[in-house]
Amino acid sequence: MSLDALVAYVVERLPELWLRTGEHLMLTGCSTLGAMFIGIPVGILLFRTTWLRGPLMGVIGILQTIPSLAMLVFLLALLKKIGVLPALIALTLYALLPIARNTLTGLEEVSAEVMEAAEGIGMQEYQQLMMVRIPLAAPMIVAGIRTAAVVGVGIATLSAFIGAGGLGQFINRGLALANIKLILLGAIPAALLALAVDFSIGAFEWGLRPERKRDKKGSVQSLMRRLAFMLPVVLVLISIITYLTKPGWISKSATQLKTGHRIIRIATKNFTEQLILGEMMAQLIETKTDLIVERRFNLGGTMICHGALVNGEIDLYAEYTGTGLTAILKHPVISDPEEALNHVTKAYHERFDAQWLKPFGFNNTYAITVREADAKKNKWNRISDLGNTAIELRAGFTAEFAERPDGYPGLRQIYGLRFGEVRDFDAALMYEAVAKGQVDVICAFATDGRIAAYNLKPLKDDRNFFPPYHAAPVIREEILKTHPKLGDVLSLFGGLIDNATMQRLNFEVDGKKRRTSEVVEEFLKAKGIF
Amino acid sequence: MIKLTRVSKTFDGGRSYAVKDLSLSVDRGKTLVLLGSSGCGKTTTLKMINRLIKPTKGIIEVGGKDVTDHNPVDLRRQIGYVFQGIGLFPHMTIKQNVEIVPRLLGWPTHSRRERMQELLNLVGLPAESFAERFPDELSGGQQQRVGVARALAANPAYLLMDEPFGALDALTREALQQQLLTLKNQLKKTIVFVTHDLHEALLIGDRIAILHEGNLEQIGTKKDILDTPATKFVQDLFTIKRPDTLT
Repeated sequence: MSLDALVAYVVERLPELWLRTGEHLMLTGCSTLGAMFIGIPVGILLFRTTWLRGPLMGVIGILQTIPSLAMLVFLLALLKKIGVLPALIALTLYALLPIARNTLTGLEEVSAEVMEAAEGIGMQEYQQLMMVRIPLAAPMIVAGIRTAAVVGVGIATLSAFIGAGGLGQFINRGLALANIKLILLGAIPAALLALAVDFSIGAFEWGLRPERKRDKKGSVQSLMRRLAFMLPVVLVLISIITYLTKPGWISKSATQLKTGHRIIRIATKNFTEQLILGEMMAQLIETKTDLIVERRFNLGGTMICHGALVNGEIDLYAEYTGTGLTAILKHPVISDPEEALNHVTKAYHERFDAQWLKPFGFNNTYAITVREADAKKNKWNRISDLGNTAIELRAGFTAEFAERPDGYPGLRQIYGLRFGEVRDFDAALMYEAVAKGQVDVICAFATDGRIAAYNLKPLKDDRNFFPPYHAAPVIREEILKTHPKLGDVLSLFGGLIDNATMQRLNFEVDGKKRRTSEVVEEFLKAKGIF
Repeated sequence: MIKLTRVSKTFDGGRSYAVKDLSLSVDRGKTLVLLGSSGCGKTTTLKMINRLIKPTKGIIEVGGKDVTDHNPVDLRRQIGYVFQGIGLFPHMTIKQNVEIVPRLLGWPTHSRRERMQELLNLVGLPAESFAERFPDELSGGQQQRVGVARALAANPAYLLMDEPFGALDALTREALQQQLLTLKNQLKKTIVFVTHDLHEALLIGDRIAILHEGNLEQIGTKKDILDTPATKFVQDLFTIKRPDTLT
């Protein structure tokens, strides 16, 4: 990629980069400030109440060890909300430990001699704290804030999983689309941001050092000291400005929302096909209705999308019959596609006030897939053909497949298959791994473009084990009632996309690295829908 | 006047005494030196006077009033304290250190400023060149003078000095001792001065109290102690260490 192309790539995405950077700064800044307002008083409280120290520091320490993603999902379940709020709470909880701990340590480390002097000359207890102990602990406290803020910049990238935006949005999307450029578009600014935060708070800390205080007035050093104190303030101001001036075209929602429910919020999970379907529904609605679409794409999985739909945080996303049946309704597999669709339609209407619309047509079921060459050599056509040779094969599965009842556990039961080794892979990396011979078998998605592109062969499910996974728009009934036209518009998709078409569309994006919106627009035009 | 009546202090529930059954008094405007080796209870005695330590038994009066009737914070603000380890606040300038007690007492800024300048000049550290500096920019001797200035700032009637010159080199120590003598005569404070240095005790004290393992061995003027030592301990102290110049 030439430099020009690279610059063009970034320039083209500059408005969104601006928006995401603003969101990222807001998330990190607010959570760090929040943690300061809680953590410093907590540190002081712990310093004064010895018996609370063990239990409370223990609790804060445990919070810190919860994996970030688990924390986000947990808060999501607790608050029944996606977006900024759970992200902010999670980030604040993570920032608490370094701040509270450093406050406590800093207060403890003030020399006993100085404190005896403070008491001996007649300071009240609060005066001893405010005039002597806290000022002397300040460098340590600031060091804690610095750690918290820098770590916060990193963790904030995960907020995109629950629709809170931030630079993680690029990383997330990049991972979903196996697009390194997109990943870097998020990762590099995030790293730079971390460095900037580290430097500015570090400078503040430098300025606080006792030896800095004796720099002569008017000397270069004392000027630098003043600058050092201003740096974090400048950073906060830049954050606020960046956030407030973020380009409006991505989030026009805010103002529109007040003037009536003219917004439709579309979500997707975090893989290519979902992004394509989401974009397709979005473009269709934008062209055929006067509704405004808010794209809340790339949420971190089925449960997050479903939870958001049920809580009314989003209005519409594409779900698969098999997923709805087994993962959401916890129902045993139904092999007949028609029957499966009827069942989820009925159950969603009764339990979630949500409506399944006409399926797109393709069936994105799991497909046990091997290299074409291996299949020819060993005469593998059906899954049963693997038989006893399975024990010599290495399998690469997504984490979800490894655990789902309609995944590997069921596969073992129905076909009696035991693979020699099973490794967990990100969905995007699984195909590379099998193509490069790192594993021999994968749980491909039937519509993935890379099956054809990498010369892979899906084996026939001769015992009808995998449930049908027909994708269909799932929409909140409330929205459907307010905008009855939506149902008609979305039913234009009914049976429009077969497996081969979906494979091709996926490959346009995954393999050829084209932009989703462009691929979708081209497809809709070709189908005569625009 | 400061007066201790049968004061005892134990830190271990009575197994041993840091100070045992101690009675002594300091007349107004006079200086009493508490002399003894480390662990003899002299610092404990000093800290009991301004209620940094609570006595196990006995009565302590400052200015004719039991200290337990004073609010400890108010009491301490009336008593200047020069600490063993100097104890200046490292994050405050010399000016802020000296002004701290007047500030706690709510003096207006200009009186605080005047007092600070007056005191720094008094201890030989001209305000123009020292006020804005920080403690760690000063030598040990200069810091200790700031410590004295801080203790004097609110013009207290009483001054407690805990081995103030202990950590200094001999030359500096001697200079400061001479300065203290001058100050003492100028200011007419009631002073309790703790030291383990015989020479210093004889030089500064109007009266000297010799403590040994929590007990008072003898209290009296320089002459009393040198001429008629009350116990064998006092006698040994001076026969071994007595420099000829002192007689």
